[in-house]
Amino acid sequence: MNLLNPAAFLFALLAAPIILLYLLRLQRREQTVSSTLLWRQVTMDREANTLWQRLRRHLLLILQLSTLAFLVFALIRPYMNVPSEVSGRSIVLLDASASMRATDVAPSRFEAARARVRDAINSMGANDQMTLIVVDGAPRALSALTSDKLQLLDALDAARPSLDAANWSAAIALAVATGAGDEDTTTLVFSDGAHADDLVRLPGKARFIPIGNSGDNVAISTLTLRRTLRGLSAFVRVTNSGPQDDRVLVSLRADGALVDARALDVPAGASAEWTIGNINPNVAAVQARIDEAQRNFLAVDDAAYAVNAENTMRHALLLTRGNRFLEQALAFLPGLRVTRAAAMPPDAQTYDLYVLDNVTATLPARANALLIGAQSVFTPSGIFSNTDYVRTELHPIARNVDWRGVSVLDARRVNAPSWLQPVIESQGGPLVLAGESDEDDSQRVVLITFDLRRSDLPLQIAFPILIANSVEWLAPAQGLNVPLNVKPGEVVPMPEGTRVTLPSGEEVVTGRRGFAQTDGPGVYTFDAGRAQGAFAVNFINVSESRIAPNPNLQVGSVSANAEQVESRPTSQREFWHWMAGIALVLLLAEWWVYQRGLPTRWRATPRP
Amino acid sequence: MLSEAFLQSLRTLRLNPPRRRVGSLTGERRSVKRGRSVEFADYRNYTPGDDPRRVDWNIYARLERPYIKLFEDEEDLTTHILLDDSPSMFWQPDEEADGQPLAQKWLCAAQLAVVLGYVALASGDKIVLETNSSQRFGPKRGVASAAALIAFVERVSATAKRDLRAAPTGRRPSLNAWLKRYALDARPGLCIVISDMLDEDGYAEGFNALGNSRLDVNLLHTLSADELDPQFTGDLRLKDVETANLQDMSLDDAVLGQYRRRLTAWSEEIAAHVRRRGGRYHLTDTSLPLEQIVLKDLRRAEWLV
Repeated sequence: MNLLNPAAFLFALLAAPIILLYLLRLQRREQTVSSTLLWRQVTMDREANTLWQRLRRHLLLILQLSTLAFLVFALIRPYMNVPSEVSGRSIVLLDASASMRATDVAPSRFEAARARVRDAINSMGANDQMTLIVVDGAPRALSALTSDKLQLLDALDAARPSLDAANWSAAIALAVATGAGDEDTTTLVFSDGAHADDLVRLPGKARFIPIGNSGDNVAISTLTLRRTLRGLSAFVRVTNSGPQDDRVLVSLRADGALVDARALDVPAGASAEWTIGNINPNVAAVQARIDEAQRNFLAVDDAAYAVNAENTMRHALLLTRGNRFLEQALAFLPGLRVTRAAAMPPDAQTYDLYVLDNVTATLPARANALLIGAQSVFTPSGIFSNTDYVRTELHPIARNVDWRGVSVLDARRVNAPSWLQPVIESQGGPLVLAGESDEDDSQRVVLITFDLRRSDLPLQIAFPILIANSVEWLAPAQGLNVPLNVKPGEVVPMPEGTRVTLPSGEEVVTGRRGFAQTDGPGVYTFDAGRAQGAFAVNFINVSESRIAPNPNLQVGSVSANAEQVESRPTSQREFWHWMAGIALVLLLAEWWVYQRGLPTRWRATPRP
Repeated sequence: MLSEAFLQSLRTLRLNPPRRRVGSLTGERRSVKRGRSVEFADYRNYTPGDDPRRVDWNIYARLERPYIKLFEDEEDLTTHILLDDSPSMFWQPDEEADGQPLAQKWLCAAQLAVVLGYVALASGDKIVLETNSSQRFGPKRGVASAAALIAFVERVSATAKRDLRAAPTGRRPSLNAWLKRYALDARPGLCIVISDMLDEDGYAEGFNALGNSRLDVNLLHTLSADELDPQFTGDLRLKDVETANLQDMSLDDAVLGQYRRRLTAWSEEIAAHVRRRGGRYHLTDTSLPLEQIVLKDLRRAEWLV
């Protein structure tokens, strides 16, 4: 044992005033008695009793001196050299990838790694420093280089395993920026070693602390939902990434109700497939999950979700006497089902979008419409042929549309309402107008003032872009272009104020940057007022599902697994806080004895 | 010292000695010596030399045998009252300033001495009262001496108070020495010792000496409430008023409990010693009213009848 602050021994001199005060306090009051005869016998009885009786008289002094002794012992800051995980400056890379959620070591690899890091922090000496980098898809430092154990432990407690793969290159860059590779810096990697081959490039002294002992895992690696003639059909693929064959019970649920379940034999390192047909085409989403498996240590990849895209289809009514270009341009748009007709059908079905191509028809109220050439909605007031391109206004439908090469033979001048604003203008007048009516039953309209057949627009690259932009603006897909499938952690672009319902049932209102709480797999539904829909967050990550640990991972230039630990560094383990704690306990005991051990009359007299 | 009414109430009382003793004068006490008296005691066979006047002729007429009729011999009794006036008898826990009345403990003991002396005088007994400081009253007989007895005790109180002020811890003869010396020339009779028994040298030899001088020992053990159940606590330096011995004590409830147990054992020890020698023992708390001690406690203990 060594001392960091031997000068504090001087505090032991405080014992002198304590003893002095005690002796002063022991100045006894004199009391005459008729005889000391009986009192002397009492004293003899007591002194004959035990050593304890004699000690009790001085219990307060003993307690006070012990308190001082322990305080002095704490102040001189004794320490012992103990073998330690860390010495000097260390950078801890804590693997927080999805494979660290595996439960082959209890309670999980991540918690086991966290416990090891906690041990390392606790074994830090007074002069050791550490920084903590958590490595997931976006590695980040949880704490600066510090010797403050509490700060490190707090940062460690805040770390959570992610659903990403670990980005080791970024982690190495971060470690190097923090000082990895310096003479006195050691990098400690707490990881299962799966998919961490990048770590070879870690510079400087490095140690690898392997976590995990089994690679047994089965995962849902594919779930797709297709429309067939007999309703919907789901396709499920189960992959066994472990070293042993497994028999797996897989179930498929549609909107929470069980559709089918099947036991699948999945050979080691291979997949088994299963197709389920005849699913009700009106379901919102399906879920495939592994209900039972003999060897399955990662739970997060046991379920997959798929949203029924049919529910998000937009329906468009194309009224045309025949326009191959327009039909093709509309047919290629995803999520749009086009019904073609020569005249407005009598049925009352409403469509998300009406496309009128040189046809006279009456639009229903609130109909979003793409109007091309001569039509009956807005009466034409003349024809102009001076159609040289002048400018394009800033408008969503004109995004990426290059009109410079477009030639138009002639166009109609239209008595348009004021809310319909020109988007593409020529010298003679507007060629494309767009706008949204201000009335309560707002409708959006895009108006192309010329007949497509009297221009070369359909041959230009601008045509499909213009059509796609117009359809997107008039009848937003799923609203808002929200993808059906999202990876965990991905940010989904959404307008501000969209209400999103999480798989847990909790409702969240999105902010300006879209929806970012895609933390857990499941089906999310959203409502943006104009558009509703759903998307699935899926942890389908074949590489992270391969959880086999790699205890012999090459980390930097030094390969060190758990068995071949070289001469371990030592650190100074201080224990002054134990001493201070004992002193506090003794102080409390002294107070207690003082309050409790003496009778009432004595208690009232002031202490010296 | 004592109210007239209280003294009147004492007139009906008599001392009740534990055994009968032979006195020198015919008095009002019964003696074990059969003699001339009016109270019949027993018969015995006539033996030559007996006074023929004491033959019971009625029995002779009936049985034709001479029997001697025996009578209780009534006689007086010397009552010895030994009043301890050692400094411990004047002790009181709070040392008050001068001019304070005497300690309750002494006052009670002195009053008891007067009361017992008065009762003895009133029943025609001869009394002797002696103190530890060798002041002696008597022998006196007759109730007329009561005033002198009271004056004597008051004088003893005043002297003791003066002496104490002059030399608070002066040496006095020990209890044993005093009792032994008194036993040397004491006439047999009833001996009432009024003392707190707090003496370094003990008490056994003195009481043995009294017993050997054919004195019936009645010990009235007077202890004050502060001795029976002390109330002081804390770290104290106890000073003996007689010997000036010092004793450091840290008093708490446990120690006080031990003291009380020790005191009980000690008083039982004394009582056993006295009773073994045919005497009587009575422990008195001097803080009790005198009337209660005399008219209730001592009567219940059959010291007074």
